[in-house]
Amino acid sequence: MTASERFRRYLSGQPVDRAPAIEWAPWWHLTVNRWHTEGLPTECASVEAIQEFFGLDKCLQTGVSYHTPATPPVPGQGLGIVEDEADWERVKRTLFPPVETVIPEAHFDYLQRTHNRGDTLHFFTVEGFFWYPRTLFGIENHLYSFYDYPELYHDMCETYSDWLIDLFRYVFSRFHFDFMSFAEDMSYNSGPMISEACFDEFLAPFYRKVIPVIHEYGIPVFIDSDGDITMAVDWYAKVGADGMFPLERQAGVDVSVYLDKQPQMAFLGHFDKMCMKHGKEAMKAEFERILPSMARGKVIVSVDHQTPPDVSMDCYKDYVALLHEYCGKVTHKDGHINTCPVFKK
Amino acid sequence: MNAALLNEISEKLQRGKAKDVSALVTQALEEGISAEAILNEGLVVGMNLVGDKFRNNEVFVPEVLVAARAMNAGLKILKPVLSNEGVEPLGTAVICTVKGDMHDIGKNLVKMMIEGQGIACVDLGVDVEPAAIVAAVKENNAQLVCLSALLTTTMMGQKDVIDALVEAGIRDTVKVMVGGAPITQAFADEIGADCYTLDAASAAREAKRLILEMKGA
Repeated sequence: MTASERFRRYLSGQPVDRAPAIEWAPWWHLTVNRWHTEGLPTECASVEAIQEFFGLDKCLQTGVSYHTPATPPVPGQGLGIVEDEADWERVKRTLFPPVETVIPEAHFDYLQRTHNRGDTLHFFTVEGFFWYPRTLFGIENHLYSFYDYPELYHDMCETYSDWLIDLFRYVFSRFHFDFMSFAEDMSYNSGPMISEACFDEFLAPFYRKVIPVIHEYGIPVFIDSDGDITMAVDWYAKVGADGMFPLERQAGVDVSVYLDKQPQMAFLGHFDKMCMKHGKEAMKAEFERILPSMARGKVIVSVDHQTPPDVSMDCYKDYVALLHEYCGKVTHKDGHINTCPVFKK
Repeated sequence: MNAALLNEISEKLQRGKAKDVSALVTQALEEGISAEAILNEGLVVGMNLVGDKFRNNEVFVPEVLVAARAMNAGLKILKPVLSNEGVEPLGTAVICTVKGDMHDIGKNLVKMMIEGQGIACVDLGVDVEPAAIVAAVKENNAQLVCLSALLTTTMMGQKDVIDALVEAGIRDTVKVMVGGAPITQAFADEIGADCYTLDAASAAREAKRLILEMKGA
């Protein structure tokens, strides 16, 4: 069974030899720096090389930018490049390159070659309709924009969603990604930053516009949002998302609650990174916590963000060994798992 | 006193109508309502209600920000009058995000909510050295130090600040509040902080409680 077949079958609720054993996120540079002092070969620095070294299923992300060389640089941390309608009219002309130029041919070759090898999952990432206006407005002005510039917000997302549809049609006709993600980070440790009414007005119309296009290609859509997504998971479910990650335990997230209310969705992550430094027994207890949810639904366990630098390489090796052990316990052979909506189409 | 007018100030503040709040505060002063009453029975009441709604997930970050902006619009008119009337802030807080951490949305929210309690805030910004915090506490005779950290790699910076306050001999003169995504009550206890809250509205309430406690009220 190839990595892609296993992933698709797992999300379709069909029996598998084991659950996918992946890390969705790249490693923190501080963690890698530490591991380089503890025996990780110095030449082992890329995400793919580190995945190979630890014996994980490979899972590689392809991200794209809607900026061009003419796009004004961001003036500082958390600041934006659009303040009002006049800025938008000026900046818009520098955004959204021709979709055929966004991914180099060599990268398409690489994607196909690694996919054909059978051991690699590929996912495609773009900014979501919360993240994208935030990068243009800047963090704080973005939060004011829902009140100060509602029409501008809509115009910005309308333009972006048109470009995304062209992009998806081009990219997905060239390569079949295993899944895709919208980067959002719209929640923090107490819940979403915006209300459901705000989501319905400013984000939902654009997700409803682009997700059906992605689904035409049979690609499941995940939303990447840190923090407590207990409320947001329902909002993303209603616009057609197939899953969410990383389900951070430190924000109080409990995937079993999500399986109760959105059993058609898949969930990725959820392994409490903060327990790792405490060693094998603590990590085993964390896997035992998640195992019933893995057995109930399409839960793919992965560190719930990035492995912190206080985790030694030996400790991480123990984590990977346990990950394989617990992934082997979940085969969905009794066939009671809901399929992701995209696979019903 | 025109209770209806003060209530309208509170209502407009909750809806983030900064221009309306400015106009109503001006009108209230012209009608002879004291600046202290406008502050405590109009602006602070409104901001407290926003805080309660925020804690109950009835309003979210944008609503808090526009409400705080409306509060500041009202405060801008009131401040010189309050000063003339000899009304002092309830207390002073030094607030910042600790060294190595550039995140400020959470810190800004807490600041706005604390100001909404009538507490003066000295905002040192982000990525702040412990020594700068100690200096600001001394310079402003602050009763509170509010420390934010979003990252697991920077959260120990909160302990560094507490250690610096001890070293400077002023730990007993201030209460230290900590918060941020990776912070828990257990962590706050471990580093010797006086208070941890989960959200900005709770932080503001605790800030007021701690200051009143220190004043023996």
